[in-house]
Amino acid sequence: MADTATPPAGRAEPPPTLKAKDYKSKVKPIWCPGCGHFGVLSALTKALAYLQIGKEAHAIISGIGCSSRLPAYIDSFGFHGLHGRALPVATGLKAARPDLTVLVVGGDGDGFSIGGNHFLHACRRNMDMTYIVMDNEVYGMTKGQASPTTQPTWSHSKLTPHGTGVRRFQPAAIALAAGASFIARGFSGDPNRLTQLLVQAIGHPGFAFVHVLSPCQTFRPEQKAWKQQVHPCQLEPTTDAAHAAALIQRDDGMATGLLYAERLPVNQPRNEPDTTIAEIEAELLP
Amino acid sequence: MTNAHDPIDTIAELLAHALELEHESAARYEQLADSMEVHHNVTTAEQFRHLATLSHEHAATVEERAVGIELPRIPPWEYKWSCPGSPETDCLDHEPHYLMTRVEALHLALHNERRGYDFYAQVASGSNSPEVRALAARMAAEEADHIAMLRGWLADAEDLPPRQNDLDPPNVPA
Repeated sequence: MADTATPPAGRAEPPPTLKAKDYKSKVKPIWCPGCGHFGVLSALTKALAYLQIGKEAHAIISGIGCSSRLPAYIDSFGFHGLHGRALPVATGLKAARPDLTVLVVGGDGDGFSIGGNHFLHACRRNMDMTYIVMDNEVYGMTKGQASPTTQPTWSHSKLTPHGTGVRRFQPAAIALAAGASFIARGFSGDPNRLTQLLVQAIGHPGFAFVHVLSPCQTFRPEQKAWKQQVHPCQLEPTTDAAHAAALIQRDDGMATGLLYAERLPVNQPRNEPDTTIAEIEAELLP
Repeated sequence: MTNAHDPIDTIAELLAHALELEHESAARYEQLADSMEVHHNVTTAEQFRHLATLSHEHAATVEERAVGIELPRIPPWEYKWSCPGSPETDCLDHEPHYLMTRVEALHLALHNERRGYDFYAQVASGSNSPEVRALAARMAAEEADHIAMLRGWLADAEDLPPRQNDLDPPNVPA
């Protein structure tokens, strides 16, 4: 009987085609049913399948929060790190393994509050990675406190019964000002369009920031209205930072699409040392 | 990006849409079943699991129809759906809830099947190809059968108890 498992000599097996479902792990998401993050998970697996990025060829890094659980739900390398520290971990990984496609995921609290400083410097450093922030304008995992992107008048948390009174963090504007070379905004309720943005972001050489409006139906039930409020960005994406700044400043925060993309020098540290240990010793030791 | 109103004019393109529709439907029901299990809502989880099985069976039927036909590889954002997701993934019109009942799950499925019917009916009336129109009409009729089946199940299930109270609910805003 012929051994059908072994291809005849000289004939290579065609590479298996990975489908979106192949990227899903066996771990069941503990997100609330109806959570916007399911749409991001779906879009990300579709983007990986569209690009046929091997499971060993990418890594997903996160911080802490509901959205930061995402690496567990994808069958690939992943690192569920410290609160707000996803970007430094991802930066180190990319420096050591430039061959990997590095994806960073998290929420608005993780990325813009405790991780805000890392966000600024990741933008200006422009290492080749994609940062997906699932913004629901609330700390959901800790039961609903105001985050940096929460409206100043939102008063539904016992910690801020009269609202924070503080102006909101503007992710796209700040990413642009900090030097990000790719800025897009998507909506988790439109996972197929979000897939397209993620494909573009992953393909962009440099730091690609994708701001995803991802409703929290438990602590921000009013965000169900987002599906009526989001709209495609009316203007063409631009490579001109000044034009992008005007576009982003004018927009109502609900415009989706690619907002800005420019080819800027990508920062990739060299892995090879400039000098050997022996050379250093020869210089320092008598 | 393609427009939802662009006609589907080849059998291969129609079957590619049908396959994606059923795969997405199955994936969505499996996701909801998993969610319900995680939240210890076993009865509704079983209902969603059953619906996922049916969607897999429908996908297998489409695959049989597609034997010998090379289906186009369509990027997710190029499908000609009339809503953001595929028709049977509820397109955010229903908000699943961890306490939802079997009856609510069936209503969600009924809504999805209606959207599936609308999709095929639209292709059946809008395609420029008589062959595509005929197959789409057959598929719309199959969706109508699914709708009738779900209505029957709902009629049998309407007396089931309403949502249970959560004795330790999330600290949701008033």
